[in-house]
Amino acid sequence: MSQILLVDDDKEFTDVASNIIEFLGHDVEIANNLEEAYNCIEFQRFDHILLDFMLPDGSALHLIDKLNTQDKVPFVTLITGHPSVKSIISGMCGPNVNYLVKPLQREDLELVLSGKRKAVKKAKSSSITKHFGCLVGESAPMQELYEMIDRVGKTNANVMLMGESGVGKEVVAHAIHTASDVEGPLVATNCGALSRELIGSELFGHEKGSFTGAVGRKIGVFEQAQQGTLFLDEITEMPLEMQPNLLRVLESKRVTRVGAVKDTPVDCRVISATNRTVEEIAQSKVLREDIYFRLAVFPITIPPLRERLADIPLLATAFIEQLNAENDTNFAWQNEQLDQLKAYGWPGNIRELRHAIHRAFIMSDPKGTEVTLPKNFESPFAKNQTSTNQVTAGQTIDDVEKELIRVTLEKVEGNKTLAAEMLGISTKTLYNRLNAWENQAQG
Amino acid sequence: MQSSQGAQPVTTNSLIHDVRNPLNRISMQAEMVKLVLENDMPKEKAIAALDKILVACQDSSAALQKLAEHSRSDAES
Repeated sequence: MSQILLVDDDKEFTDVASNIIEFLGHDVEIANNLEEAYNCIEFQRFDHILLDFMLPDGSALHLIDKLNTQDKVPFVTLITGHPSVKSIISGMCGPNVNYLVKPLQREDLELVLSGKRKAVKKAKSSSITKHFGCLVGESAPMQELYEMIDRVGKTNANVMLMGESGVGKEVVAHAIHTASDVEGPLVATNCGALSRELIGSELFGHEKGSFTGAVGRKIGVFEQAQQGTLFLDEITEMPLEMQPNLLRVLESKRVTRVGAVKDTPVDCRVISATNRTVEEIAQSKVLREDIYFRLAVFPITIPPLRERLADIPLLATAFIEQLNAENDTNFAWQNEQLDQLKAYGWPGNIRELRHAIHRAFIMSDPKGTEVTLPKNFESPFAKNQTSTNQVTAGQTIDDVEKELIRVTLEKVEGNKTLAAEMLGISTKTLYNRLNAWENQAQG
Repeated sequence: MQSSQGAQPVTTNSLIHDVRNPLNRISMQAEMVKLVLENDMPKEKAIAALDKILVACQDSSAALQKLAEHSRSDAES
């Protein structure tokens, strides 16, 4: 945390900027003219001064002169409307002064206060649309998903998200929360990560002294999500003996903290998530039927990445843009690289894609613009998953064919000629199949 | 023409400064709205910031009008 002095004669600007700076974790004092600034620096030491260049009772340079007489000279950022001031500053003020040009953005403040001493380069605006502020993809399965999110967002129905590991269930929960017109927060908890002893306390809260170690009152996640959304991840990992308590809360909309006498009304949408299919849930009996129907009023299945290959370039671009922004680099994809990414099956879904891109980013020369992709994306986890693939009764011939082509392409690292040879079909037929699936995915 | 601060003569630079200030307020208030939305803060804060953006838009428009009049009078003299 730094001590910041903000000097500007625009009171509305100083009010809002001080709120933002406090949010960034710093302490702020405000001065609306030079005289107030002189008073501040006389009685307090500051790490950083944000200083408007034109003040009603003089120039910022007067204050800089005064600061230069102090034992420890704070860093100064001049806020100016004139980029030409840069040349004046560099000649007169030395290395401890930089500048920002109005209009300011939060990112500008974040960068100068985090100690970056060069003029701030504005981030390039992204060409990727983020639906509901977080979801990337324009394929037909994603358009269906957006429509479902939009519809369920307008209701208060409980939602169960189903999908393979890594498809982005928590991101979809965020999207539903964003689409809902609710005042409360989104509170997330992972039912699989909580011990049997603590799950009741985490979900419903506890009163002081209700059990050994309960040194104070704790508000459970149901109460924390009041007027908002509660996201229960890995719901099928919740111990069966705890499920009747959950059912009671879902039915009565009242929660009783552990050790409490009275119950408390709760009002939040519950979004739960699991990587099991409905059939698996029913067969394995990991979730009581009555709970399932309470939680899955509106079930949503999130498509795996292999069913929306057309979105891979968009996702890859969004990830690389984010890494560029975080690391001040300028990497861009080549078309062949995007084809290489599309040729892999991504059994670990978006999580695996993101991980592979991050790894490639680290391996690439930061001075260049080309990402160095590995020849082979296969991870040990992916191998396990693909080696256990078996044909099961009920699968369509089309699905089996698709899976066989996917596995073969993976094996030959995306080389379509080799894959066609192994499959005993012509390269043209293979391309026709791939194009047909891509067109299907794009709707 | 005199500036709002009284003694100083109005120049194109000072008029541009008067336009930039409300733009700066708009930018920071918009950042405030983003903060509120990203962090599930009370929506009243966002509404107050949006109201201030609307006022600052009117201020920008008035300042641009002054700048236009100044340019016209400069051209005529």
